[in-house]
Amino acid sequence: MRTALQGLSHNLAPLADIAGVRRPIAPTGGASDMALPAARSALTQAGLTADAVDFIIFATMTPDVTFPGAACFFQHKLECGTIGALDVRGQCAGFLFGLSVADQFIRAGTYRRVLLVAAEVISPGLDYSEGGARVARLFGDGGAVAVLGPTSGDAGVRSVVIHSDGRQYDRFWCEYPSSRQHPVRMTLENFAQRVHFPTLDFDVVRDFGLATLPAVIDEALGKAGVARDGIDHFVIAHVFPEVADRVAEQMGIASRFSNPSREFGHLAAASVPVSLSTSIAAGKVGPGAKVCLAACGAGFAWGAAVVQL
Amino acid sequence: MSQGGIRNSRILSVARHVPDLVVTNNDLAGRMETTDEWIQQRTGIKQRHFSGDDVGAADLGAVAATEALKRAGVRAEQIGLVIFCTLSPDYDMPSSACVLQARMGLSGMPAFDVRNQCSGFIYGLATADAYIKNGTCDYVLLVGGEIHSTGIELTTRGREVGVIFGDGAGALVIGPSDDRTRGILSTHLHADGKFAEMLWLESPGSRERPRLTEEMITNARIFPKMKGREVFRHAVTRFPEVIREALDTNGLTVADIDLLIPHQANQRISQMVAMGLELPEEKLFTNIERYGNTTAASIPIALSEALEAGRVRDGSLLCLAAFGAGFTWASALIRW
Repeated sequence: MRTALQGLSHNLAPLADIAGVRRPIAPTGGASDMALPAARSALTQAGLTADAVDFIIFATMTPDVTFPGAACFFQHKLECGTIGALDVRGQCAGFLFGLSVADQFIRAGTYRRVLLVAAEVISPGLDYSEGGARVARLFGDGGAVAVLGPTSGDAGVRSVVIHSDGRQYDRFWCEYPSSRQHPVRMTLENFAQRVHFPTLDFDVVRDFGLATLPAVIDEALGKAGVARDGIDHFVIAHVFPEVADRVAEQMGIASRFSNPSREFGHLAAASVPVSLSTSIAAGKVGPGAKVCLAACGAGFAWGAAVVQL
Repeated sequence: MSQGGIRNSRILSVARHVPDLVVTNNDLAGRMETTDEWIQQRTGIKQRHFSGDDVGAADLGAVAATEALKRAGVRAEQIGLVIFCTLSPDYDMPSSACVLQARMGLSGMPAFDVRNQCSGFIYGLATADAYIKNGTCDYVLLVGGEIHSTGIELTTRGREVGVIFGDGAGALVIGPSDDRTRGILSTHLHADGKFAEMLWLESPGSRERPRLTEEMITNARIFPKMKGREVFRHAVTRFPEVIREALDTNGLTVADIDLLIPHQANQRISQMVAMGLELPEEKLFTNIERYGNTTAASIPIALSEALEAGRVRDGSLLCLAAFGAGFTWASALIRW
């Protein structure tokens, strides 16, 4: 038995000019609001209603409020009764982490029909001052929802591999609020120091992506028993679009790959599924196609999956 | 429910770590209008532990995790997955699971946070169980860690929440069991987001524009708020309900439970739950009087003490249950 992708839809915020670039920017609402329209249309695709869902997994680093998790808000808005609603933090690779968890629950028989949500509303948390624009202009707001369930056929998740290496967690991070700071995790002084905005070490983040993405893509292909040539479409997500371009060129797959950061700005956890959903909607990939999805980002956390549609 | 898979998962070891500083109710009474008697009567709490500066959830978690690995006889490089359950992460981003890796010098295996508040530990346990059942991992490091002391307002304005919470961490090593009658028998996870605002921390949040403002800091919107009566009312309904769900799934009854370890939310809730189930008091584990509510860390801390006290033995039927912010609630049945 494996896990099939039974529906996938996305929702991108309306485009706006911000920090000198044009990006999808959500004027209102949080991560759960971003995901809701995508959930309704993914369920329609799967021929299901919300009451058929067993379990919700929500991957985000920008939840509606600090707690409870975005999954709880989303569960209520979608009217899913009292099913479990799990929030996972895998940062930019969050969709692949969530896919791994969903795949495990379905294969273990714990749950039969899982909604996997990856949604981010990053723009309200960015620094639009002159000093911050270099980081702020990288990001966008969007979400996607996948309907996952068991199948005995060939289609579905053929492999998903995930990794983390926390040893450089402060090279791509948002330091505050920080529970480490006494007596209070967030102060007006911290606010004035602008330490509640995400920062990146551009060189380290770029080099880490270049080193790990080709390896993790080959690992996922190897585990699925599919050669690079056997993949119809690749999605490679990294905060820097140049990194995804270079990985695709180096691997000889540049003619059949999507680079979500170039298309939408970096949507963190939502980058991979939004990109795949737009490729399906545009007719670039269809039923039976084999796709390879990869992402690397903050944590560091990275992963790849091979999925047959 | 979790009946599939090729093998069971079981808890190989448990360890806990709390910071040294003990803060009594009388200590709190020196900072706000409250009394030892009032706190004990409402919550059963006598004291809690608070960390010092520059100590995060992952620092506490790393001490507990290192001890848990030692007790299990499992080497760090054998760990296939790290799950960290918290609502008070070291930093806003990335996950405390990644920070834990850094503190322990680990790398390579996936590490992610589960953010399910008081039910987080059982949500994490259910996740670990699936990875082991399927044979994807042999060993999972499951950690619950919280630093609440820097996220509560220790003044009269914040006292309803402030007197309840404490800092601490607990860690488990979970591994395979070929004996399908032993280990984690089933897990049951629930949520109802309709009540998300009954116990919550509003800011910062992505639904605000901007996500964090000076006004939020000044007006204490960066501290959690609780409608205590509503939480109590739902807790005493959902706890027994989810415990019975676990028992029914396994064809067992309340009389089969050897020990119930509820999330240590409030002594009055735990007592009402036990009474409602007609569970004798000696089968209910409580330690909230010494730790306060440590959210995702409370069950592993309690489990480590229950084991040391000899209250969980070979073959014991252990029931874990939780209820809290979300609302979320959950249970797990374990044959030790």
